[in-house]
Amino acid sequence: MSGGKRITAGLVDYGAGNIASVARALTGLGYRCRISRDMETLGAADVMVLPGVGAFPAAMEALHKHRLVDFIQNQARRGQPLVGICLGMQLLAETSSEHRLTAGLGLIPGAVVPLREAKWHIGWNSIEVLGNEPLLKPSDAKSLYFNHSYVFEAPAEYRVGVSRLDTPFTVAVRRGNIVGLQFHPEKSQLAGRELLKNVIEGLVSPYGRRKGDMPLAKAAFAA
Amino acid sequence: MIKKRLVGVVTVKDGWAVQSMGYQRHLPMGKPEVVIENLDRWGADEILVQCIDRTRQDLGPDLKLLERISRKGLSTPLIYVGGIRSVAEGVAAVQAGAERIGVDTLLRDHPRTAAALAEPLGAQALIAVLPLAITEGTLGWLDHRNGQSTPIGAEVAAVLKAGALSEALVVDWRHEGKLEGFDTRLLDRFPIAGMPLIAFGGLCDADQLRAVLERPNVVAAGVGNFLSYREHAVQHFKQQLLGLPLRPATYAAPSWA
Repeated sequence: MSGGKRITAGLVDYGAGNIASVARALTGLGYRCRISRDMETLGAADVMVLPGVGAFPAAMEALHKHRLVDFIQNQARRGQPLVGICLGMQLLAETSSEHRLTAGLGLIPGAVVPLREAKWHIGWNSIEVLGNEPLLKPSDAKSLYFNHSYVFEAPAEYRVGVSRLDTPFTVAVRRGNIVGLQFHPEKSQLAGRELLKNVIEGLVSPYGRRKGDMPLAKAAFAA
Repeated sequence: MIKKRLVGVVTVKDGWAVQSMGYQRHLPMGKPEVVIENLDRWGADEILVQCIDRTRQDLGPDLKLLERISRKGLSTPLIYVGGIRSVAEGVAAVQAGAERIGVDTLLRDHPRTAAALAEPLGAQALIAVLPLAITEGTLGWLDHRNGQSTPIGAEVAAVLKAGALSEALVVDWRHEGKLEGFDTRLLDRFPIAGMPLIAFGGLCDADQLRAVLERPNVVAAGVGNFLSYREHAVQHFKQQLLGLPLRPATYAAPSWA
């Protein structure tokens, strides 16, 4: 953030996948990066980043093992910005049917289900930004790197980005201070770094908020 | 639309990136991290690192190399191949910095263990590595340990058909590092229908790349030595392959940007 204080990103270290790449991307953008599973450290960050590579049940098991499920849910509900990347995005859902039915963090309504048109979605694909989502708009039509076989089916109100095989499927979700990205921005070269910067700085800055956005707890209360 | 990929392949032997010719002769090129950094800077769609001595020496995956690469902060997806003997070692390779891993000997000797990697990692992270050649009309899978080729067995075929691994790296080992070009019969006669293939071995010019990438079952093409002969080789190839569904050439931002 030009002229402002340096952003601190808390990278959740729960043993699922390669967090070094995400950490390098964050520090490359000029942020402080705290790789941790310590709640105080993560809670003090300007934004919490939940990475993930692998299968859903193993990742949820790891989050439970490190007693991070309640913590992440509470922090997100209190309004701490949270970005889930790849499997980290899917963990935001209510459930996943990968290998077996597993409960997720339940921060954004929807379920993780197999891709319909292919067994896998691997490689570079362009994204289409929906609803003028300000955090993603500059990345509309950019190619980003995907590596997944399941997809987060979220209600339309939370869907902010899609990609296509033949028909569109969700690749980005947002609920107020919570954003999920199915692709790997940290492995999508310049296009990915730009997107990650826009998302994090948009979430941290009040200017990135959409009209009507409010932290999850207030939104639930209002509903 | 999903794009086809141009994969930069780096062969590592005894800790050094090498120029390889048919996996028989090897010339050292330098530190793998440096070669990999170049491919990252030139906008390769993926980078595949194959450590060809890890299985023969029973060393397991080269996690220290992966950690060194990871510290470079690459912004290109990394595939690691070499020495993975168990589910735990596959997971360790991903945790050390690989997005995806490839298995050859593990798939041959213990296909169920190779399939079991999908439980913690997901099938999308797994690639079957198959060095193939056609001899007297028969498709054979080379066992690097003894130089013998055998047909792909029923148990391995069943694992591949079941989708436990997402893609197969078809290595034309006879033409690898040579100018004769990739034997496209390996793609056309691949026994598992519908399996997405990555072609590698002997692909040294745009015409050869076009010939493999135009095939519907080919999702990516790997290029090894021929990407290291000149600066920005990835971008040059991509410019020559206009019209194919590849991601356009990209250029790293200058340091002053």
